Amino acid sequence: MSALQKTRLRIFMTGVGGQGTLTATTLLARAAVAAGLPVTSGEIHGMAQRGGVVESTLLIGYQSPKIGPGEADILLGFEPLETLRALSYLKPGGLVLTSTEFLAPLSVATGKDTCPDLAAIKARVNACAGSARFLPCRSLGVQAGAVQSGNIALLGALCSLGALPFGVEVLAETIRATMKPKVAEVNLRALTLGAEHPA
Amino acid sequence: MASPLISGAPGQTHLLLGNEAIVRGAVEAGIQFISCYPGTPSSEVPDTFFRLSPEAAYTFEYSVNEKVALEVGGGATLAGALTLVTMKHVGVNVAADPLMTLAYTGTPGGFVLLSADDPGCHSSQNEQDNRIYARLAGLPCLEPATAQEAKDMTRAALTLSRELGTPVLLRTTTRVNHLRGPVTLSEPAVLPAPAGFQKNPSRFVPIPAFARPMHLRLLNMLEKLRGLADTSPFNLVSGTGKVGVVASGISRAYLADALLETDLTGRVKVLDLGFTYPLPEKLLASFMDGLSTLLVLEELEPVLETEIRALAQKLGLTLTILGKTPGPLPRFGEFSVGLVAAALRTALGLPVQETPGYQAEALPAPLPNRPPNLCVGCPHRATYVAVRKVYGDNAVYSSDIGCYTLGILPPLKAADFLLCMGSSISAGSGAAKAAGQDVVAFIGDSTFFHSGITGLVNALFNRHNLLVCILDNRTTAMTGHQPNPGVDKTNLGDNPVRVDIEKLVRGLGIEQLRKVNPLNHKATLKAIEELKAQTGVRVLIAEEPCPLFARRAYGQKRSQVAYVAEECGQKGECGECMDILACPAFYKENGKVAIDPLLCSGCMLCLQLCPNIKARKGDGK
Repeated sequence: MSALQKTRLRIFMTGVGGQGTLTATTLLARAAVAAGLPVTSGEIHGMAQRGGVVESTLLIGYQSPKIGPGEADILLGFEPLETLRALSYLKPGGLVLTSTEFLAPLSVATGKDTCPDLAAIKARVNACAGSARFLPCRSLGVQAGAVQSGNIALLGALCSLGALPFGVEVLAETIRATMKPKVAEVNLRALTLGAEHPA
Repeated sequence: MASPLISGAPGQTHLLLGNEAIVRGAVEAGIQFISCYPGTPSSEVPDTFFRLSPEAAYTFEYSVNEKVALEVGGGATLAGALTLVTMKHVGVNVAADPLMTLAYTGTPGGFVLLSADDPGCHSSQNEQDNRIYARLAGLPCLEPATAQEAKDMTRAALTLSRELGTPVLLRTTTRVNHLRGPVTLSEPAVLPAPAGFQKNPSRFVPIPAFARPMHLRLLNMLEKLRGLADTSPFNLVSGTGKVGVVASGISRAYLADALLETDLTGRVKVLDLGFTYPLPEKLLASFMDGLSTLLVLEELEPVLETEIRALAQKLGLTLTILGKTPGPLPRFGEFSVGLVAAALRTALGLPVQETPGYQAEALPAPLPNRPPNLCVGCPHRATYVAVRKVYGDNAVYSSDIGCYTLGILPPLKAADFLLCMGSSISAGSGAAKAAGQDVVAFIGDSTFFHSGITGLVNALFNRHNLLVCILDNRTTAMTGHQPNPGVDKTNLGDNPVRVDIEKLVRGLGIEQLRKVNPLNHKATLKAIEELKAQTGVRVLIAEEPCPLFARRAYGQKRSQVAYVAEECGQKGECGECMDILACPAFYKENGKVAIDPLLCSGCMLCLQLCPNIKARKGDGK
């Protein structure tokens, strides 16, 4: 992926309420500002907070905070079912990074509904994406010291692919500058775990 | 750590939420007084002011409703304070009465109303277009499209209002409130302390004899403002061509991105409108001169389009004007880059382009949805379970606005109709009287203070027959735990003045009242059964703090959690706990019901419903 040379980028992020999707989005946006890039980021609050889907965006070189179907260069899924749901936002041949660990919707958890399994999701992602990475984000988060830091592992993997116009060190610096030292330590570990996770 | 919103140095650039940028803009204008009623997508504006109030010089209040907020703010500006009042779009309906008159009296200290509209109904019951209020009340209107503009236009709106002594509408939409972007700070202004109210009855008391000249003064003011809009730095012309585009609000961002597409770049002349009312007629006249086609980009109602059509007719222009009447753009929902690009292609006579999206074969089955749900341990769930046990489907459930509206979902199904904030009691009264059905109205504590009290007084006076359940979770949970008059705690500490809902209801003369902790299932059932047997206005107060708020504000710990005992399922599958409660901590594993100990809040409602659910010591978190 030659996104490093690209001046414009649309990143679509999706996850489940309470997972820290918006924290990850803001962190990435702050890193982009620190790198001197023209960034706009969007999010929808409100009803989405009560265990619903949380979608956010980060755009570099654009003014709109919104991403339409088929427009995202990169799709970051913090939960695999939500990755599948948001796949229509991906530009054909775009990059997908997703967690492989499910947070089952209530209807699935209570056995009233079923959810596609990981193999089915991987197949569909691979059919649409030019390139895809699958990471056990929650496990990496737990390994780093807090399950919520799993999102940061996904950002680490994204940076290590050279898919952003800035590197993992800018993100690391933003973590140090904006988080309390103890929290930063956990997130920096998660960042490294994600960056070093085998493809 | 001091916030850059208060003490950030001029020239610094920070990544700000649109709503934070509005706060900074107000600080830069020298804001002295803020009142509000929270509501998505406006809430981060007042919440940020509240959070920063210990380190700032302004006066801030969460008012009990939008009408009160606007009146309190109106009084403050009459006494000379530079004032900002914030609310969501539907809140302006509540505040419309004083707003109309405030435009007549004028606002000596300066006064801006922030109306946060919600095209697409992300978190609202409608998508009304509040730019129409600017026309109805006679308010100049500014509409930002970026975080930087949210800051700059807030400052400009407040400064303009103070200079002219007339109220200004700052109109945003969800995407603008909730976008983040870099914002470069400027030096804050330093204002003298409010001068105090200067008596002048012919200016400030709109008895008919005075109201007539006040209206004339307002109309003259609007003509003066039209001249200012003509020369405003927020209204900018760029590009060249025979096809012109007038864009306002977030449509401007979509337009800018659409113009990056190769077949559209450099093809149109653009008028970016930030100061949108009064319509800058001179600027538009010169912009339209020589155009063959004009495309008007605005979400929701064709407000600008209609005014521009009238102007074109007055000027005798024959250009083609495209927008929503009849098309190609919709009169509902949000725009997008794709939608704007398609409209541009129509205006330019270019071929349609399909977005090369994900066109995979249909999924084998629709994906399971993830609807927002009442949280683990939510006391509203407990009240709903008890009411359902007593009334089942034999009552009409009149709902209101708050987290408890989520009770609409099965299995609780506790929301049959809803009009607006505070409507549950009054609309429930009417429904009960019209056809004699049993009605149960649900209303939260904040919504009860907002506008439920008047409905309750009315129900009593007009001898209505319904059960009112006041779901008192000790905070305004849905919009982010803002305080209301009844709370013990706010995010900044204790609430020294607590209005007691029970005393208030008893004070009205209502004797048929029970107060329960809804997590005590047996007592709640008994209270509901007793109230069901009575007639007239009956009130159940179900009081228990929101568990999310209790954890933060009261330091509440999980002393015990629930688990499913081995005996479960021995007499065959029942699954009743899941069917009745829909608690997110429950799941099924290998066909057996289980409770996630990390999710369980320890409310212990489920223990009271099934003997196979037991308690064990929690992790104390």
